[in-house]
Amino acid sequence: MLINNGFNEDKIQSPLRYIWSIFKGKSIAVVAMWLMIILITTSILSPWFMPHSPLTQDPESMLLPPYWAKGGNINHILGTDDLGRDTLSRLFQGLQFTLGGALTITFFVAFLGMVIGAGAALTKGVKASVLHHLLDALLAIPSLLSALILITIFGPSYTNCLIAIGLSLLPQFIRASYIVIEQELSKQYIVALQLDGATKTRLFRYGILPNILEPTITILNRLFTMSIIEIATLGFLGFGAQLPQTELGSLIANSMELIYLSPWLVTFPGLAIFLVIVIVNIFAEGLRHAVIEGEE
Amino acid sequence: MPSLLKVTNLCKSFTQPSGLFTTREKVAYGPVSFSIEAGQTLAVVGESGSGKSALVRTIAGVLKATSGNIFIKGEPLESLSSQQRCLSVRMIFQDPSSSLNPKMTVGKILNAPLELNTNKNATERHDKIIETLKLVGLLPDYLAFFPNMLSSVQKHQVAIARAMILDPDIILADEILTTLDISLRFKIVNLLLKIQREKGTSYIFVAHNMHLVKHMSDQIMVLHQGKIIEKGPTATICEHPQQEQTKYLLLTHQPDYRK
Repeated sequence: MLINNGFNEDKIQSPLRYIWSIFKGKSIAVVAMWLMIILITTSILSPWFMPHSPLTQDPESMLLPPYWAKGGNINHILGTDDLGRDTLSRLFQGLQFTLGGALTITFFVAFLGMVIGAGAALTKGVKASVLHHLLDALLAIPSLLSALILITIFGPSYTNCLIAIGLSLLPQFIRASYIVIEQELSKQYIVALQLDGATKTRLFRYGILPNILEPTITILNRLFTMSIIEIATLGFLGFGAQLPQTELGSLIANSMELIYLSPWLVTFPGLAIFLVIVIVNIFAEGLRHAVIEGEE
Repeated sequence: MPSLLKVTNLCKSFTQPSGLFTTREKVAYGPVSFSIEAGQTLAVVGESGSGKSALVRTIAGVLKATSGNIFIKGEPLESLSSQQRCLSVRMIFQDPSSSLNPKMTVGKILNAPLELNTNKNATERHDKIIETLKLVGLLPDYLAFFPNMLSSVQKHQVAIARAMILDPDIILADEILTTLDISLRFKIVNLLLKIQREKGTSYIFVAHNMHLVKHMSDQIMVLHQGKIIEKGPTATICEHPQQEQTKYLLLTHQPDYRK
């Protein structure tokens, strides 16, 4: 118990809790956060609650429009494709692959990129130059192009597509995290901690990591958005998920020739990609503003 | 008996690019020689750009000297491990609001130097932290506070506590008093003098205000363009300044109403 309770609180709020309380006040960002949680859980759980399997073909009901349009059927809420497969089920499977892939890429690239970026920023001499400038050369190649080159080497498949995109986004992330950590290193409390004889890991864990929250959210958001777009692009080009797997980009590509017969088939996956990216960006932006306000 | 801190011919120069492929040496200070005894206070004064801060930062270990030697109790500084160095020389940074990690509680900030430089266990460390907080005049409550909850003078007290927690022989203070307003400045000055009486610590401090220098220091060292132009006991220098620069420095802090 505090002797002198000047702040009138039972417990002292940590900066992270304070940021969270500010974030809770931003309704749009909170809605985006819940939408994101709902999207992820429903796409993971969709095989258990969807009435139709994404692969069952039904010759009785082909190219159905969504149920609210003329000729629609309530059994297929978003209609069916040219083989009679339920669009909603396929959309959820597509989301599962695209969203899941993007989350996996973000997780692994962020971890690897942070480690390499910190290694480059915290060391000096040859090691830092190799880690930092060697990868700079890769930045000259656009990430989508390097992903395409890598996938032609590995051969098209969903896993290879994820590996290729991860590798192509890694240099950008390393560069960004390197700059963030480098800026943090010049702060006085880092110098003070170094003078105390702190090891590099301790310096990174207690000095740098808690203080680079805001720029990290920005680069993670960019990484996630880029990986969604690239997974969809590679899927659209036919290098990503192979049949019978469906993924949002390949869903659009498969329905391209049916665009005049049934424009719905292209609209829904496109809308899904758009919505996912918008939701994630609103969430990340809200979080970033909460961090900025909390750190003032 | 060797003096507590002895600096001989210390030099620091930075290399700056002057052309496309050529570099130029820019001398920050030096060669500088002086020594200081236990319990004494040395004030380093001079106009801005005279190398005072660089000198203090070199002794603290932030910068590496180009040439010259620093001896602590007769032993060269390079031969000491970083732990031994921390136990004998500690630095208080200029602005405590940027030298305290905003994401750490005061307790953790004070715990870090103890954990890294001593073999004390958790309870001993906790006792030492409480004792040091008492020394600088803070309640044990402050252990759980974050730096942004403290006022500027309390941040200064925490910064002094961080320097004092290892019971060092020498404390380096780099213009710590300039950011405080006048009444709080005297609180910190009195705190520093009280610590010196109790612990017998030596101070090397950089300051602008000649009144404070007169009040606090035993020795004054005047730097001008990286060279020591005048050095001696405070009373002698303030009463009979020999150099033009010293006279100017004293003049700037002699308000008319005192005459």
